[in-house]
Amino acid sequence: MDETLDFANDVPASGHAGAAGDPSTPALRACAQDDKEFAASRSCAQNGSLFGGMPDPLAGLRIADEHLERVLRGRDFLVQDGAMGTLLQERGLTAHGELPDLLNFSDPDAIADIHAGYVRAGAEMITTNTFSANAHKLEGRATVADVYRAAAANARAAGARYVAGGLGPVGVLLEPLGTLSFEDAYEVFAEQVRAVVDAGCDIVLIETMTDLREAKAAVLAAKDCSDLPIFASMTFGEDGRTFLGTSPAVAAATLSALGAHVVGVNCSLGPAELEPVAHELLRFARCPVVVRPNAGLPHIVDGRTHYDVEPAEFAAVMARIVDAGASVVGGCCGTTPAFTRELAALVAGRAPAPRELPRAFAVTSAQEAVVLEAGSADVACVGERINPTGKPKLKAALRAGDYDYLVGEAVAQQEAGARVLDVNVGLPELDEPVVLAAAVERLQATVTAPLQVDSSDPAAVEAAVRGYAGKPLVNSVNGKRENLDAVLPIVKRYGCAVVGLTLDEGGIPPTAEGRLAVAERIVAAAEARGIPRCDVAIDCLVMAAATNQDEAREILRAVSLVKERLGVRTVLGVSNVSFGLPQRGLMNATFLAAALGAGLDLPILNPLSDRYRDTLAAWQVLNGSDRGAAAYVERYADAPDPYAAGALAAAGVATGPQDAAPSPAPAAPADAIPIPAALADAIDEVRAMERLILTGRKGPMAAATERLLEGHDALAVIDGVFIPVLDVVGARFERGEFFLPQLMASAEAVKAGFDVVRAHVGEGAAADDGKAIVLATVQGDIHDIGKNIVKMLLENYGYRVVDLGRDVAPERVVDVVREQGIRLVGLSALMTTTVKAMERTIELLHEQAPGVSVFVGGAVLTPEYAEQIGADYYGKNAAEAARIAERFFAAHPAI
Amino acid sequence: MDAEGLRVDRAEALRYLGYEGQDMDADLERRFDEAVAACERDLRARCVHAVFPVDPVRSDADRVTLAGCGLVLEGRDIARHLDGACEAALMACTLGAESERALRLRAATSPTDALLYDAAASALVEAAADAEEARIVSDAAARGLRANFRFSPGFGDLPLAVQPAFLAALDAPRRIGLSVTSANLLVPAKSVTAVVGLFAGEPPAGSARSTCASCGLAESCPLRSQGRTCHG
Repeated sequence: MDETLDFANDVPASGHAGAAGDPSTPALRACAQDDKEFAASRSCAQNGSLFGGMPDPLAGLRIADEHLERVLRGRDFLVQDGAMGTLLQERGLTAHGELPDLLNFSDPDAIADIHAGYVRAGAEMITTNTFSANAHKLEGRATVADVYRAAAANARAAGARYVAGGLGPVGVLLEPLGTLSFEDAYEVFAEQVRAVVDAGCDIVLIETMTDLREAKAAVLAAKDCSDLPIFASMTFGEDGRTFLGTSPAVAAATLSALGAHVVGVNCSLGPAELEPVAHELLRFARCPVVVRPNAGLPHIVDGRTHYDVEPAEFAAVMARIVDAGASVVGGCCGTTPAFTRELAALVAGRAPAPRELPRAFAVTSAQEAVVLEAGSADVACVGERINPTGKPKLKAALRAGDYDYLVGEAVAQQEAGARVLDVNVGLPELDEPVVLAAAVERLQATVTAPLQVDSSDPAAVEAAVRGYAGKPLVNSVNGKRENLDAVLPIVKRYGCAVVGLTLDEGGIPPTAEGRLAVAERIVAAAEARGIPRCDVAIDCLVMAAATNQDEAREILRAVSLVKERLGVRTVLGVSNVSFGLPQRGLMNATFLAAALGAGLDLPILNPLSDRYRDTLAAWQVLNGSDRGAAAYVERYADAPDPYAAGALAAAGVATGPQDAAPSPAPAAPADAIPIPAALADAIDEVRAMERLILTGRKGPMAAATERLLEGHDALAVIDGVFIPVLDVVGARFERGEFFLPQLMASAEAVKAGFDVVRAHVGEGAAADDGKAIVLATVQGDIHDIGKNIVKMLLENYGYRVVDLGRDVAPERVVDVVREQGIRLVGLSALMTTTVKAMERTIELLHEQAPGVSVFVGGAVLTPEYAEQIGADYYGKNAAEAARIAERFFAAHPAI
Repeated sequence: MDAEGLRVDRAEALRYLGYEGQDMDADLERRFDEAVAACERDLRARCVHAVFPVDPVRSDADRVTLAGCGLVLEGRDIARHLDGACEAALMACTLGAESERALRLRAATSPTDALLYDAAASALVEAAADAEEARIVSDAAARGLRANFRFSPGFGDLPLAVQPAFLAALDAPRRIGLSVTSANLLVPAKSVTAVVGLFAGEPPAGSARSTCASCGLAESCPLRSQGRTCHG
């Protein structure tokens, strides 16, 4: 089994010059394609690398025998075993709190006997009894290596043809839902994979995953630490998604691109419920698909789990799933050798039905797949706004590490119709790999659109895509040899799609044919590294019409040529065309229309631009994707024509319903702020702003602040309006006239005003005068809403807040306090159990950072309790916290 | 088992927010409506319960041991809650990872919306727990048993430390995607675990609904400070 097979000798007859000539031989054949030239190279992908094109995906793998190799090529069926836990329970071998994995040592005969039952029933592959055999779950009761060694020996003793070393989930949730980092998960799996290899297993089998990010860590570890075939399956719920929201399409597209050799589903539900899941997997997996259902749905009776599907019924549904194309079959919870016998009979003497491999362009996040089928008219907009070029606010946010701002941009673009989000954080003074990875991590935790990782630094690209839960689009590679060699291995290793720029050592070719030639080389280089062309999107590079007027038509022609000749999707950064010209929106929208007509699939643009949206909406009627023009009619039936007389003028002052100034001004409230002398000429504006803050209307605050800043000092606006009104809000809250959301909404409105003031005063005005405050939710506690409220209010009062987030270790608080010379720390804890962590943090601060004061808050705290754990101040709510900060900094002026 | 079509009890969600009849601006009311609508539209509750016999030999006034899963529930309060019970139903409900993502997103874009959504989601998971509890009660009634009410880890002196074993007894991580942190907090946070006592006859008075007056945690109870109680 150590022999590495020579795939060159295994190329079937169809692998000869006319590779597309006999599509029936390889079961997994590339989809029949009109253009025979490219069908040939794709077929090679399956058959070997005799003719250039794709290398054999199985090259370099250690494959036990010829049958297994045929399984991996989708030409033979493979029957896996069924449940282990169910049979352990039947034999009374499950003890609570005991890991079944340890039975490999304590009762090896029983384990081997269960395996042998499956072997006798016809299972070709036996999975080791190692579902929990990771360092985290074993907790030192045995070493990972020992468990796999014993487990593999038991499987061999049972006469297994193939032994699959099984890996289940770590058992701790990964970030962002949990606390385990991607790299720590990777290390846990890497240790297991090394043990699988050392134990002499034939296959690495990753199963029952619900978190795509965790599955990715496991597959990467399997790729890096072994040369064995990798099977990876996830488990889906009744809504057709994993508990973390991953669909079968996303799982199949992501894990097969990443390099798993068989992907699919195990556990979850009964076979009938998994039928649609299997269909979706088959549509998106580039490799054989495994389906291993439970014996129906579980019922716990008297502490025992029972399943409701009988073997014959199970097999009847599996027959349909096999006919649909699944070629690796087995069972999971509740199945027994009787089920295996049925499955073995089902596939005996048969070969899998031929399957067409997906050739759609697909990028994914953990929750969404953006799929552009070849030949379809679908267009997917890529939002361009997360890019600091020419955006001072974004620059400032990136410098300050304020990723919330990026999330805001992401959400706005997604709501405006962007289906992919470009992420670029290139600023000279930033450590791009660190910042890009952090931005991607933050965005994938909040928005669902797949990300386009945009950097010219391969190290930054790798840092960002490695832990990305999905199949991102890398932007970009170009035709320079050095660049291809640097970027494509990353794209391949992490299973990404990639944007190829049509430029090379000679620059950007001025003609369409020249751009096509570069694109061809990029596609060929990608395929040579095993990246299928459907994962390459070509950017023909838009030049400014003002400087390269003659190229505009060449760019459009290049888009058509590339698409037609190479069969790949196309990308363009649309707005580049208008540099140096007036009315850029007009130029951009016109170019967009022309480019869409030329075949553009992935326009990179600002989705918030109405002009773009209008053009796209119209185009989607013309290209047939807006069936019956339904969306167009709904949007425009009652909309004014912007060119009709008067409409433009009206549009100039039009505001959304939310932004309309509150009409007839009510009388000033009893607790109205005094009008400051500096604003004596703007009483109405001040009163209007006061109302906006008191009613928590952040939408209109920006414009109101702009108006007030005209002719008035920024400080007068802050000290004369923002702060006094906030004080009124705080007082109303204290008196119970406002409840918490009102306090918050007012604070948000003031924050919107502050943002305008900051932009007005300039970027340099962010100094904190030594009034910086660290906030953290203590270790072990994950309730951070209260802390976030305090943060916003403190920021409103002008303090610089360093927010360390939730579940923060005492040491981390101390480190930050020391590094930044911080004098005031706010800690929150919601649970009685986590107040102890608060106490430890205070103790450590007082010991290692003398002179630092601490205020605490949280539902379970009382003033007495706060004093008892050593806190300097107790803030019963956010308004109180703001007063504490004021008192503290008044009493402790900066040195 | 999935609980669908659940509604947010708006009055309850407002109570969590500390609402005491203040004049709410139309804009804030709209945002609250949106939070409620988003919870009802985007979240689905996953629930599971299982019934285990009480092991009378290994139960006393300080603890209850359940047969079939070996779970030990420590504390006088849970012992009183299950005093005389022949069986205990363990239940768990969660609004899933989507609730966490939605909260993170709002926390990044608008803390006010995050606060409103948090309260609406809390009310929704309580509704899911009510529905699951009702299923337990009706299943028990079908078997001729009477049920008391749900009592959660963290209430009274039933420690949160029971959560990992509690979830394991229900196979909750695998069945509904509910996990627990090293500090014994449920993840996703919008989740509920609880124990309902099942009785051959009328539940004894000792296990009837307790009150804050008899609770040792009343002074520092986070539920009370939110205007809620653990005893309905």
